[in-house]
Amino acid sequence: METSVLCRLNAAVQKYGSKIAFKDNDNTLTFSEFDALTRSIGTYLARLVPAGSPVVVMSGRHTFTPACFLGVVRAGCFYAPMDGDMPVTRLNQILGVIKADFMLVDRAHLDIAQGLDFRGTIVVMEDIIGYPADEALLAQREAGLVCTAPLYVIFTSGSTGVPKGVITSHQSLMTYIDSVSKVLDINDTDIMGNQSPLDYIAAIRDIYFPISRGASTFIIPKNEFAVPTALFETLNREKITALCWSVAGVELPAKLGAFDVLKPEYLKKLCFSGSVMPCKYLKIWQEHLPDVLYVNQYGPTEATASCTYYVVTEKVDDDTVLPIGHPYDNYHVMLLSEDNRPVPDGEIGEICVSGPILALGYYGNAAYTEKAFIQNPLNPNYRELIYRTGDLGRFAEDGNLMFHGRMDRQIKHLGHRIELGEIEEAARKIEGVVDCCSLYNKPKEHLYLFYTGDATSKDIVLNFRKNMPAFMVPRKLVNLDKLPTLPNGKIDMQTLKSYFK
Amino acid sequence: MKEELMEILEELRPDVDFANETALITNGVLDSFDIVALVGELNDAFDIEIKPNNLVPDNFNSADAMLALIEKLQDE
Repeated sequence: METSVLCRLNAAVQKYGSKIAFKDNDNTLTFSEFDALTRSIGTYLARLVPAGSPVVVMSGRHTFTPACFLGVVRAGCFYAPMDGDMPVTRLNQILGVIKADFMLVDRAHLDIAQGLDFRGTIVVMEDIIGYPADEALLAQREAGLVCTAPLYVIFTSGSTGVPKGVITSHQSLMTYIDSVSKVLDINDTDIMGNQSPLDYIAAIRDIYFPISRGASTFIIPKNEFAVPTALFETLNREKITALCWSVAGVELPAKLGAFDVLKPEYLKKLCFSGSVMPCKYLKIWQEHLPDVLYVNQYGPTEATASCTYYVVTEKVDDDTVLPIGHPYDNYHVMLLSEDNRPVPDGEIGEICVSGPILALGYYGNAAYTEKAFIQNPLNPNYRELIYRTGDLGRFAEDGNLMFHGRMDRQIKHLGHRIELGEIEEAARKIEGVVDCCSLYNKPKEHLYLFYTGDATSKDIVLNFRKNMPAFMVPRKLVNLDKLPTLPNGKIDMQTLKSYFK
Repeated sequence: MKEELMEILEELRPDVDFANETALITNGVLDSFDIVALVGELNDAFDIEIKPNNLVPDNFNSADAMLALIEKLQDE
């Protein structure tokens, strides 16, 4: 029986010792080398940190970062990854939620770590490489883990202006990885090309497919995504067979015409997720790579990044709308009406999900957790939690689930989930901004901020760049004398949308 | 032409010193999403078609390099 992801790591090391687990442009780690790193890090941390504690990990885009994550787990703890490139304000907000006493960083991020509002202990990963492993201590920490224990806390946009930390258990992660591996047929001949930032939910496949299935993962340098031909050359040089990318990442090479120059020769599987796929770009992939398995995945971080999937068997056209398909194994999906009743066949309802993949809630925020994770209103007989996704769906006649947008003001922009309310909260704090409203022009992928006050658009953008992640910076700013209102006094968003161009 | 280019760049990323930066791509100052937005705007503004082969760091590392690329594409 698997009590934690460490069972998988131990088995993978036995079976694949000298095979490559993780690789980047500078380094290669075999399963054995990777494991040795986790044991050094785990031992060092276990001597400092009580079991069951959060450890913040701020480490760059390289092979050692997954080793930091699993090292934290070897210490019987759970990790909270942070992207050190994010503005200091954002990092401090995350630290304020997680309240960890220990932070593990790579040397490149030490200066940033020392400048944060953090009074705990900072451990530099490079200093403890080769630290002698204490097998008895590690075994003791591993034995203390149960599969319902937290594995990681990943942060996502919160409408109140403070990011929310979604807690995922070992069991949830393993369930999802097994279900998605089955659909994509991931095995030890696969080489993954990692696109997602390692601190972001979408990276869990790139991190755990090696550990669970014996695959290898190549971490693609970030700036190659700005040079599409270099990106495809890398996929070919590294003989990459499988990609689990955001829709935004899949669009990029198609948008920039990379297929006119070359194509990924070894690719067999492409899973995309994070937002609705515009099929004019998928069509380009299909035309050049007709034999690749294309999978459209849908699901929120709160259900371990997933819910349903659709294997694209048809040739798509520019205006094809892809279904989000069927639930993964071990996922239960149902549609509820606003008054908590089942919706009649063929009608739209809120997508709700249950099963062993539900997150443990939002870290340190019981009020939010209780609102989003509720007792199944259709089940009066025993405890059954469901997560209300806030997404609308409809079952088509062929049984496929179709996506029908959001119930609230959450958007997907450049592959990231954003609460428009959080953009507004941030803007209101800027001197010279009196009132504001943020809207999204989806066809153009422009994030708008309409505002009143005498701040210049440059003031506002500079402030956002300083305090918020890059994907949350408004691209179009419109200064108005007054925000248009409806008779009930609420902001008239339809009138504001007439400014879209 | 340079003025128009600088205006576009300034609107895209007011936080970047385009007059003096010389490693915009190599140092990751501009990310892939900036490039997508920029390519669209430059194509429209200067009536050119930037091809995938033009999307190399040397052509986008500085405002001057971009200007040279635009001039080259306009001549074609």
